[in-house]
Amino acid sequence: MNMNIVETSGLGKRYGGTWALRECSLAIPAGHVAALVGPNGAGKTTLLNLTVGLAEPSAGAVTVLGGWPAGSPAALDGIAFVAQDTPVYKNLSAADMLHLTRNLNRRFDQPYAKARLGELGIPLNRKAGRLSGGQRAQLALTVALARRPRLLVLDEPVAMLDPVARHDFMAIVLTAMTDDGVSVVLSSHVLADLERVADYLVLLSHGRVQMAGEVEDLLATHRMLTGPAAEADRYAERPVVRVGRAEAQAHLLVRAGMNDPVPPGWEAHPVSLEELAMAYLREPGAGALPGPARSRNTQPSEVTR
Amino acid sequence: MDIDKHNGAAGGGAGASPASGDMYPGQHLRVSDAEREAVTDQLAEHFAAGRLDQAEFDDRVERAMSAKTWADLSGLFAGLPGTRAPAVPELPRGGGSAPGSPIEFRLDAASGVPTYLQLVHQVEHALRLGYLKLGDQLPKVRDVVASLAINPNTVLKAYKELEVKGLTAGRPGQGTFIQATLGQVALPELAGLHKSLLGWLGTADAAGLDEDGIVALFTSALRDFYKRRGGAGARRGAASGNTEGVA
Repeated sequence: MNMNIVETSGLGKRYGGTWALRECSLAIPAGHVAALVGPNGAGKTTLLNLTVGLAEPSAGAVTVLGGWPAGSPAALDGIAFVAQDTPVYKNLSAADMLHLTRNLNRRFDQPYAKARLGELGIPLNRKAGRLSGGQRAQLALTVALARRPRLLVLDEPVAMLDPVARHDFMAIVLTAMTDDGVSVVLSSHVLADLERVADYLVLLSHGRVQMAGEVEDLLATHRMLTGPAAEADRYAERPVVRVGRAEAQAHLLVRAGMNDPVPPGWEAHPVSLEELAMAYLREPGAGALPGPARSRNTQPSEVTR
Repeated sequence: MDIDKHNGAAGGGAGASPASGDMYPGQHLRVSDAEREAVTDQLAEHFAAGRLDQAEFDDRVERAMSAKTWADLSGLFAGLPGTRAPAVPELPRGGGSAPGSPIEFRLDAASGVPTYLQLVHQVEHALRLGYLKLGDQLPKVRDVVASLAINPNTVLKAYKELEVKGLTAGRPGQGTFIQATLGQVALPELAGLHKSLLGWLGTADAAGLDEDGIVALFTSALRDFYKRRGGAGARRGAASGNTEGVA
């Protein structure tokens, strides 16, 4: 599966005089859980709405499922979307929801949905408004997955859930990925647990893509260097993302691989995804840094010379 | 996609109930399509080798394809050389382990070790301690994903790494199985090493190092040792930085 599940080129969305998203060019491969990460107002929801066809681009284009324009019938058929706060009709029971969704969709796996809700212990006759937050989220997810999508889009799926409900929710998303090869694109501002779930990362900041790539590649091309603060300036002109410095000791997040020699007196540690994302989000100018895909060709000697 | 061949047999023991005094534990477990196909493949080999005639082959394949439990599969290889009746999956030992595998993974979010490496380490650890033996099955990808809520690609990566190390082998449609054990040091030698380490610890203690200091120093020296042995060369920087922090 080499197709791109989501591809954007020069994509932009303007609300009035403000660009919520601009010059966004991405190629997210199929078969991944891609996480859109960024502070509030970074453009995550805008990008998701454009992807599922709920909004029209002001500039550029977005295609899904290997080249279908977002919002086209083929695209709508293959995508399931769970919006922020997992909205369900509060006065409808779970059974009503299934009935409604089945009649509104060309494809709907009723036995799957019923079995799923049974396993979760969600009573079919209870009104959605009287379910717990975790159960409501599971109901919305069940309805989405019963459409047998090829791409599942989730906007802040677990932000409102307690840790156990969060775990159970993601377990079902990831099991669907294992069973049916569903690709997942989700937005999140919860960085913890991201590394377990996401294997593709898109960092958004102020409406622009700051960094995008496979998590494995991103982690392999970044190292945290710790050493004497007095020497930190020697690395200032190199591809340093973040410098934390106390009087004696400095931490530099640099673009370097595992096999790059470490400068004398310095120590190199691998970085976690959370650490990496945090460093980029804290660095307002890091959007100007070359993306990891390009830097991979140039960085090894720069760090060590 | 790649995932399919690893979880093909996921249904194999999924409906397993705790062994409640069964005479033939496991015989009542349901058989998955993948397992039926594996049996059919084996029968086809016997047919190709002339050990079954057309009528026998047709009859046994039909029985295999309509088999519901492992008990139905027994006897299909009666009178055939070289094969045993298919092994009945073992029931979960103890309480919480996934059906089919003697071990269950856990994750330490605070360790800073990448998730896939944690899985690799836990398999190696289980091998060293004897929880896993030759022929044992690793938890199925789907079960790991469902219980830990982690990305299936991470599990696949860990299992691939174990395969590259020669410790496991994937069997299409069945899962991943242990095919080598880790070299273990003989007990007398282990005792000697333990004793000399105690001596070293005494020296470190006398020099004023506390427990954390000793661990940091040991970890740093260990890393240094393997880096040099690995021929990476010019690695002195990392070690000296660490030692400074300790002293």
